Amino acid sequence: MIKLKNLTKLYGKLTAVDSLNLEVAQGEVFGFLGPNGAGKTTTIKMMAGLLQPTSGSAFIGGYDVQQEPLKAKLIIGFIPDRPFLYEKLTATEFMRFVSKLYDMDDAEKEISGLLALFGLKEWADELVENFSHGMKQRLVMASALLHKPQVLIVDEPMVGLDPRGARLVKDIFKDLASKGVTVFMSTHTLEIVEQMCTRVAIINKGVIIAEGSVEDLGHMARMPNSHLEPIFLKLTGGDEAVS
Amino acid sequence: MTPSFQHGRVFLLLAPRYHAVKNSLNRLAPGDGLKTVVLFLLGLGFWAFMFGVSYKVLAYFRTIEGLGDLLALRLLSMILLTFFSILVFSNIVTSLSTFYLSGELDILLSSPVQIETIYRAKFIETIVDSSWMTLIYGLPVFISYGTVFKVTAVYYFGLVLTIIPFLIIPAGFGIIVTMLLVNAFPARRAKDILVLIGLLFFVVMYILFRMLRPEKLVDPDAFPTLVQYLTAMRAPVSPLLPSNWATETLSPLLRTSRGDTWFSLLMLWSTAAASIVIGEWVCGRIYYTGWSRSQEGKRAPLSRSRAADALFRLLSLPFRRKMRAIVLKDVKLFFRDTSQWSQLFLLFALMVVYIYSFKLLPLEHAALPSFYLQNLISFLNLGLVGFVTSAVAVRFVFPAVSLEGASFWIIRAAPISIRDFLWAKFWSSLLPLLVLSEVLIILSNTLLKVTPFMMDLGIVTVFMMTFGITSLGVGLGAVFPKFKHENVAQIPTGFGGIVYMIIAMMFIGVVIVLEAWPVYRIFTVQTLGGRISLSGWAGIAVSFIMVVIVNIVALFLPMSMGMNRLKEGDI
Repeated sequence: MIKLKNLTKLYGKLTAVDSLNLEVAQGEVFGFLGPNGAGKTTTIKMMAGLLQPTSGSAFIGGYDVQQEPLKAKLIIGFIPDRPFLYEKLTATEFMRFVSKLYDMDDAEKEISGLLALFGLKEWADELVENFSHGMKQRLVMASALLHKPQVLIVDEPMVGLDPRGARLVKDIFKDLASKGVTVFMSTHTLEIVEQMCTRVAIINKGVIIAEGSVEDLGHMARMPNSHLEPIFLKLTGGDEAVS
Repeated sequence: MTPSFQHGRVFLLLAPRYHAVKNSLNRLAPGDGLKTVVLFLLGLGFWAFMFGVSYKVLAYFRTIEGLGDLLALRLLSMILLTFFSILVFSNIVTSLSTFYLSGELDILLSSPVQIETIYRAKFIETIVDSSWMTLIYGLPVFISYGTVFKVTAVYYFGLVLTIIPFLIIPAGFGIIVTMLLVNAFPARRAKDILVLIGLLFFVVMYILFRMLRPEKLVDPDAFPTLVQYLTAMRAPVSPLLPSNWATETLSPLLRTSRGDTWFSLLMLWSTAAASIVIGEWVCGRIYYTGWSRSQEGKRAPLSRSRAADALFRLLSLPFRRKMRAIVLKDVKLFFRDTSQWSQLFLLFALMVVYIYSFKLLPLEHAALPSFYLQNLISFLNLGLVGFVTSAVAVRFVFPAVSLEGASFWIIRAAPISIRDFLWAKFWSSLLPLLVLSEVLIILSNTLLKVTPFMMDLGIVTVFMMTFGITSLGVGLGAVFPKFKHENVAQIPTGFGGIVYMIIAMMFIGVVIVLEAWPVYRIFTVQTLGGRISLSGWAGIAVSFIMVVIVNIVALFLPMSMGMNRLKEGDI
């Protein structure tokens, strides 16, 4: 469902993403990990069509994001780490706007259902500027699911969410995956990766240094049966800095 | 999925703006209605003023036999050329924001929306944002032309048909220039460069205009020069400029000249259509690449040298430790933000023109004794210097608190009192304002060759007033904070800025009125002879004591109000 082929991005002389190759199958929950500045957001932005790769390609559902952007974007649900929201719109108005962007004729039922699912029903007619950070995050997630995407690309989904919200999001992602939706998730919350992800890739300095299930990564780090945190620190060299 | 559903989506992309305006109007906070009414009335007043001035000038021109209509027509041509230049620049700057820096682009570009659809929606957004003010304040000028020339309804119909393409052409051109610029530089750096070029352009034009001495146009002694001036104006402007086509369209409708309205109108409309089509073609080819590049751009670091750092540290040395941190941060941010430090050029131009204007005063031709007049003007000069200092303060000092923006929480969370915070802002603003106001008063008084008494009075009064003006700026800036702003220019143009200017003017007025009487007494004695009685001296002393008291109140009251507002904590 997702295929990255020699995906590369240069910022001047700095190589942010270096010949990335990756495949994610339908229905997988894929964890994309890495230290700060490793190239996660750059990769995600290229997948969502927000950034032009210097070379290489990103295919979503078989569509090259650069060559057939509209077809690719139609099946992507994108949740950025720092989402922009129109502060002077109400939650419902914002959802309606997004539904029209995706050419949905009558989405009132879906809008109402999603706002309820994300605990925003009471706030449906409130201006977004009055929302807390967590509420804004939930609204963005609701809007990303509105057009029933086949691929969900999420950058830091748990930032700003309370435990109930985080639990809700985990359940929703699992449910989506069981229905065949591919979830590509970048996060620093390793516990969530352990609980949810079928496969994981770790990127460091623009290069994928490890890929596989959490168990596979344990073997690579020679730390079988260990939690992901020490594995991650060892593979990214962060354990030296910690000690 | 076919792209057929793209049709008619341009207005969908504009819907958030419509809803935002609607929601803002439906959910006015207490006091917002009053602010809107005050701003509306001020705008209306300015509109009426523009109409009045244009009407008077045009009516005066019509009384000049033979030359009047030509002069009115040339004036129209100059106005349209000026508008066109402003619109081109304004569209370049606006399209940088709408096409490259706006936050909503993340949503639009990650959605299945064609680039061409985004172009059309952003075109409309750009044209509205960059042209509404020129349009609103251009209308009284065009209407005054219609009134003075007693035109028929055809003129107004032609005016509408002229204005629409006249606004579209600079928008289309500006957007294309922006797209080419962003493909050459990252968007943020392109914005810095544009701000600087625009400002320097304005400063040079402003100084040049002043040096041309436009006051000669109303001086009968300079009439031969005026004829020469008119002859020079007879030289046609480039026939390829849209402003020329607009003039050619409107002038037959004003019945001032014969011409082919239809040909010029056709030129305007065809160029407007071409600018849209070419813009869309350029957008389809280079916009996405440019936008992607704009994600990579870093802000231009213009003051990060070690020498600048050492200088800033030196400047902040007199402050206590915590206050020093705030001052140092403010100075660094000021010199790293092009939209801020570039305004210093404007300040420089203001000073040059101010001083130059005093140099030109024809005091020797005046009917009143020159000695008396020089001192009188010097006295009025006090008020003018106060006004200029306030105008500078509303731009640089009033936004001081608001500029903390979303980072204000750092100050609130830090172990620093609001008192220290505000006084740090005060002292760091006071020094540059004192330099400005004292330079202005000393140089202008020197050019006026005033008496030592007036020179001393000017220096002391301006010194004291600057404390009050600074305090009003910092204090009222804290009373009316605008932490959510997209650029600095929005802060002083809001309601708080207007309140500040009104109160600052009242403060300066009170000081001047309190000094007027004793100064008048002293002058009368000096010029006509006689003595001032003991009670007279007492009255003079009381007046000067009142001046000191007013200045002390102006220094402490606004600061205290500002502190209380910030301590309320509901920010």
